[in-house]
Parts: sequence; C-alpha cells; structure tokens
Amino acid sequence: MTYIITEPCIDVVDTGCIDVCPMDCIHGTDNDKMLYIDPEECIDCGGCVPACPANAIFPETEVPEQWKHYTQINADYFKGKK
Amino acid sequence: MRSTNPKPRTYRIVGPQRQIDERETPHPRVDRGELGEKLRSWRKTRMGVDPFRRVFGGGGSDENSYNSLYDIYKNLPEGKVNPNKIPVTDPARMARNIKEIARFFGADAVGITDLDQAYVYSHRARGNPASGEKNGDPIDLPHRYAICLGFESDYEKFLTNNSRISDAEYGLGNIHSLQPTFLLAAYIREMGYPARTHGYGRFEVNPIPLAVNAGLGELGRHGMLIHEDFGSRLHLAVVTTDLPLAVDKPVDIGVEEVCKYCMKCARTCPSHSISFGGKEIHNGVERYRINVDSCYKYRLAARGEWSNCVICVSTCCYNKPVAWWHTLAVKSIKWTPPSLRVLLIKPLLWIDDLFWGKRPWKRMKWLDYDNAPETNARICNIPGCNVKHANLQHKRLHTA
Repeated sequence: MTYIITEPCIDVVDTGCIDVCPMDCIHGTDNDKMLYIDPEECIDCGGCVPACPANAIFPETEVPEQWKHYTQINADYFKGKK
Repeated sequence: MRSTNPKPRTYRIVGPQRQIDERETPHPRVDRGELGEKLRSWRKTRMGVDPFRRVFGGGGSDENSYNSLYDIYKNLPEGKVNPNKIPVTDPARMARNIKEIARFFGADAVGITDLDQAYVYSHRARGNPASGEKNGDPIDLPHRYAICLGFESDYEKFLTNNSRISDAEYGLGNIHSLQPTFLLAAYIREMGYPARTHGYGRFEVNPIPLAVNAGLGELGRHGMLIHEDFGSRLHLAVVTTDLPLAVDKPVDIGVEEVCKYCMKCARTCPSHSISFGGKEIHNGVERYRINVDSCYKYRLAARGEWSNCVICVSTCCYNKPVAWWHTLAVKSIKWTPPSLRVLLIKPLLWIDDLFWGKRPWKRMKWLDYDNAPETNARICNIPGCNVKHANLQHKRLHTA
C-alpha cells in the first residue's frame, strides 16, 4: 500500500510533509504544482497526513472517489525517473 | 498456567489469548515477501553491506554463511539431558544459584517466571535441521519455568542512534546473548533436567511478557521491556526448563505512569510507529499498540547501511548510564504511591528534556564511522527534485 497526495495540494505545496517523511519519498520540482509520493518507497506510516495543512493526503484505500485518479498520477510521476 | 500475583501493571489480560504462530512474526513475514519485495531481497543479503552487519547476521542465509555467528549458533543441536539427576530439595536456593550462574556466564539481568503457554508460539517458522525440526512444525514446550536473561548494550553507542555505530552495538548485543544462554541451558541439562535455549534467531517463546512476569522490568509504550537500570537496551533470551525453581514477582518501577505522560518515544519515532493514544486490546491483552509494519519497513531508510534505528531505545527516559542520580530518580518514583506519581514524573520529565534533549542523540566518531548528520545527508535520486529533505537523524518531532 501507499499514501496518495491529491488535488488539495495543488498550488499549496506546503512541504510540511517532507519534514516528517522518514523515507524521503515525497518529491517535487519547482515546475510542479503539487508534490508526489513514490509508491515504491512509502512505508505506510501515515506521518504525512497530520502534517498536511490542506488535508490532501490519504491512504490508497481511502482516497475520495473524485480524486481516485491521483493514485495513478502519483505513480506515473516516478516512471522513467529512477 | 498464569503467573503468580501480583499481576504486572503495564499489560492486562482481558480476554482469551490464542498462541501466536511464529510464522506471523515480522521476520518470517518479510522472508515470505509480505512486506514487499525490496525488504525480502534486502534480508537475503544478510541485511546489508557493512561487515559488522554481515558478521552478526540475522538475515537470510546464503550458500556460505559461515562468517555469521548467528547462522552457526542457530543450527546447533540441543545437547542430551544427563541421566544422573541431581535432586533439588530447595527450589528457592536453586533459583538463587541459577541466577548467580547466569550472571557468571555473562547475563546482566536475570529473573524466573512460570512458563505461561500463552507466550509459547504455536508453530515454528525457523526449523533447526540438526534437531530434526522443520518450518511449520507445531511447537510442544511443556517446560514449567522460564529463566529470562537480559544483556545490556552500551549506553553511549546506542545514543548515536540510526547509525552504523548503534547498529554494530545492537548486533553485538544479539551475539553476546548466544553464549551465556547456551551455557545455562547446557548446565541445567548436565544437572539432569531438560532445558531449551530461546535466543537470537531461535525463539519458541515471546520473551517480553515472560521477562515482565519475571520482574526484569515493565512493558513500555514502545512495546519493549524497560529495566530500571538499563532502560530498554537489554537483549532478551530465555531458557525454559523443568528444573524446580522459585519464581520471581513482576515489579513496579513506575513505567505505567511514566509512559502515560512521557511520549518521548512516540515523538521521536521516525516511522510514526509508536502510538500517542491509550492502550488497546489485541489478542486478549490490553497494551499500547505498535505499528510493526512501518517500524520494520523503516529499515529501508538506511539504504542497506544499517538495520536497526534504536531511536526509541535511546530516547526512553529510563535509558541512562548506571549512576546514583538515575537510581535516585527511579527509586523515588517507585516509593511514591501510584496516584501521586504524576507530581514527581512531570518535573523529572522536564529535567530529562533539559539535560538530554527532546531527542537524545550523540555525535560519535568510531573507526571510520561518523554519524554526523551532514555526512548522512540524503542525496535525492529523483532528477530535478529540489524539495528540502531533512536529514535522516533529525526529522521534525511529531506531536499527537
């Protein structure tokens, strides 16, 4: 399993989640409008959830229906980058 | 068979307990790949690249594991019981002798309790071919007593937590527990009584509740034993036997009240595996919940450089060098009635934060190792990523 960053992160990009992520598996560049969680690295600790002021992070199994496609968006971000 | 009164204060039996299958415990689950392929393949490498880690072992065996003392010990057969039994007329005297012998062999703490079958695994996950045991065999351990042994790790080296230095010390602690445990069981067998070792890599029992029942310490919020002198930096091993022995009583060193207010392990656990909340009921036992999976998976954060972070062990406010002021603090908590302890604990926790910090940690250079945060700064492997990844040791503290 993994945690997923969803739409509320767009244009917020608070980075509070990065400070608490033990695996350093949350990434993003200056050109990105949001941050992304690497599903292969995430250890499901859930530490990023309370750190997010936008409430944008959900466990994979609890992503709200309207943001379900963000699971694929997070995974796709890392394709070809490793 | 239940432990004698008084009951331990830090966990409570509230319902029927089923025996745990050793195959449900974390290491066998990782070996089966249930926590991901990455962890499985990492364990197969004998847990990393560091020579210390490979000597101390603990991971999967490969075709030539004879550099790993763990692999050699775990495959030793159990010796025969001497047919000439030495009669025991005074179990209390025998218990005193056995404890002294255990210390003589190298144990730092020792206690005896009845072997509660609830803490015996139902099936084994790691068979020992030399004893004709296979994975998945049901475990039959009818012994009456459990002699619980504790082996202290070095305070200073553990303070370098989340580094190769603390990990080497952790691995050495595991190895140190092997020989005295083997010797004690062999000694009892030579007295004419059956005895079996349960130590590093070869447990048929869960040592933590047995050690709590044996009065070695109490169960902490972080799920480990807390000893009044050594805190949680004790490696546990158990010898089960039928040798007639007097059993010890569980102790009260104030862990129940301290863990309620301290939260230091929960605040500093990098993988958020320790709960800030109250106790929960699992398998008929009321105790603090630990997220075992995220704790285990956090090992991958070290990228194969080391294995155990031991942050919760070194952070625990009971983890102090053996010194009069530590003894005084623990004794004053012990001697205060439980309902008044909060008045003492809160100032002591304030002092603890003041002198040791909210996240106890120490820089150390040892051999060619240096656990300075800057040398461990993480280089992000995602091209273009420019978020500021905090370094491994000094993540932001968590709050409830």
